[in-house]
Amino acid sequence: MIVGRTRIEFEPRLSPNRWLLLAVPVASIFFALIVGGVFLLAAGHSALGTYSSLLSNGYTTFDGATRTIGFATPLICTGLAAAFAFRMNLFNIGGEGQMYLGMIGGAWAGIALADYFPKIVAIPLVLIIGSAAGALWVFVPAILRAKMGTSEIVSTLLLNYVALNLVNYFIFGSRGFFRDKSTSFPQGRSVSSNARFGPFGTTNMYPTVLIAIAMALFLYWFIKRSNYGYETSVLADSPNTARYAGMNATRLTLSVLLISGALAGLGGAMYVVGPAGKIDPGLMQVGFGYAGIVVASLARYNFVAVVITAILFAGLRVGGAALQISSKPVPIAIAVVLQGSVLLFALGGEVFRRNRVHIRRVEPVSTATKVAS
Amino acid sequence: MNSNVWVLTFADSISIATTLILASLGVILTERSGIINLGVEGILLMGAVTAFLVGDGTHNLWLALLLSILVGMAMATVHAVLTISLRSNQIVSGLALVIFGTGLSQFIGKSVEGKSRPVQINPLKLGALADIPIIGPVIFGHDTITYLTWVGALVASLYLSRTRAGLVLRATGDAPATVDAQGVSVAMIRYIHTIAGGALIGLAGGWFMLARGTAWSQAATTNGIGWIALALVVFAAWRPLRAIGGAVLFGFTLQVPFTLQGQQINILPPAIVQMLPYIATLLVLVALSTPRARRLLGAPKMLGQPFVRDER
Repeated sequence: MIVGRTRIEFEPRLSPNRWLLLAVPVASIFFALIVGGVFLLAAGHSALGTYSSLLSNGYTTFDGATRTIGFATPLICTGLAAAFAFRMNLFNIGGEGQMYLGMIGGAWAGIALADYFPKIVAIPLVLIIGSAAGALWVFVPAILRAKMGTSEIVSTLLLNYVALNLVNYFIFGSRGFFRDKSTSFPQGRSVSSNARFGPFGTTNMYPTVLIAIAMALFLYWFIKRSNYGYETSVLADSPNTARYAGMNATRLTLSVLLISGALAGLGGAMYVVGPAGKIDPGLMQVGFGYAGIVVASLARYNFVAVVITAILFAGLRVGGAALQISSKPVPIAIAVVLQGSVLLFALGGEVFRRNRVHIRRVEPVSTATKVAS
Repeated sequence: MNSNVWVLTFADSISIATTLILASLGVILTERSGIINLGVEGILLMGAVTAFLVGDGTHNLWLALLLSILVGMAMATVHAVLTISLRSNQIVSGLALVIFGTGLSQFIGKSVEGKSRPVQINPLKLGALADIPIIGPVIFGHDTITYLTWVGALVASLYLSRTRAGLVLRATGDAPATVDAQGVSVAMIRYIHTIAGGALIGLAGGWFMLARGTAWSQAATTNGIGWIALALVVFAAWRPLRAIGGAVLFGFTLQVPFTLQGQQINILPPAIVQMLPYIATLLVLVALSTPRARRLLGAPKMLGQPFVRDER
């Protein structure tokens, strides 16, 4: 590429540079904070003050840190969901809607079934049914993609809006099964106490976070060691190789998308088992499904890195929420601005991680001969 | 029920279609060059909030629209640099723009949240023409930008099919190596059309705010129209004129819920009716998935593929 009189060349790196593996994310966060700072200053807020209170409210105090880890639980799941599909070049961006369906399915099981089982059976049942509902929600896009090659991007996304209105219908638009009928205030009907975990002590952390982390570790191991993981990796890198080796691309594609949907659904069900205990439209304010995509991309689809990134991101949000209760509230949207900028910078930084970049001056021919002589 | 209501609904669908046409024209230009820009929703929101803020500050309608165009171009430039020069994943970059645009529009729009729109685009007064029954409101009841949009679709269609530059553009999306061998810079063509596309999408957002919106509220403003525009491009087979027909159809599904609510027709609960545009769009995508339909569609062949010349 030639810009003016300089020539920029990308030479692919043959071996990964370990130093850059850390430097790119750190630099991305740094530049994102600068972009966020510009907007904060323009809106008349103190950038450093905002960031330091973000840091203490989101990460460095005991209350903030535990709140963040609790809050991160569904985000770990949607992050895993995105990572599982995206690493296969299957862009399931319907994690948001699949998570709502997980909440609906989990709440249904929690209300209808949980009373008949002891806690040790009821909670897994709720989580499994929630996951199944999430998988069901991605079924149509998955079939279209696997059988006919229709892009899954727009189809999964459109279903997010359908799922959103479905939750609205259950809570605000009707007085049916999911609605708490004892009050005129529109809220969900509580699930059986058998279907719920209590928090750890006085914190906002629930045991579900341990399940989410265990799931991440399991997936990491599973994709590295299992036949299935190997086949999906081959298919992702080279569909032709996979076909020559006799792998069933249709079945692999279908299963990857369904598992991705199930992981997002699991996040929604965990929200029921943990803090919510019912269908809570509050989940729709956060955008965990979309944030999960950012988390997965930043973690470069590594399942263990997803956990860490999800917790870092949840802290932004928790810290951001705390910023609103002050004399001069900073809109919580600043957290979303920071998320978007981190991702944009990380994408740009990726090129430096993958390539050696050479910048050379292009000399006009006559000068070059002069220098040579 | 009053037949007049349905005439108005149809007229409204044509009006709402303006946003869809503008946005999908932007997407068509971008995608014809081989670049997927999924950031439409984010650019629409930024265009909308820019138009609102500038309108609020200056009360100048045209300045507001001009700035939403510039903001759209700026966001498309970010996408272009990332995907064309730095060869990042186009899908993820587009999604990052959506997240960034959603957050930023909410952040800078906080100060005017709930305020009603400061300036508005009014329908042109076409006198006697607008009084013709049915045709009057449907065809002659719109504003300048809507008419310009129709002309724009025609111009874009001629540009693609009848000009040399349009030929080069189509070739860039289908066979960039050939274009490169002809000595034309693939990166240049892609930059120009991605940024021009961003301008149209930004305008779509600005127009939507000032013509259709009432008050600024980030959550309620575009409500997924950007994604519908992306589906519409598939429906229109990357052809500008077909986008008009598709946009009116999609506009109708977006408008019907409001008419039903306004007429107190409660065959279906409002939340269910609100799902219909998205379900309809999905059904269209399903219908377009059959092998026969796909052959007829003809997406740009190298859509989403970064172009790397085999150097040395």
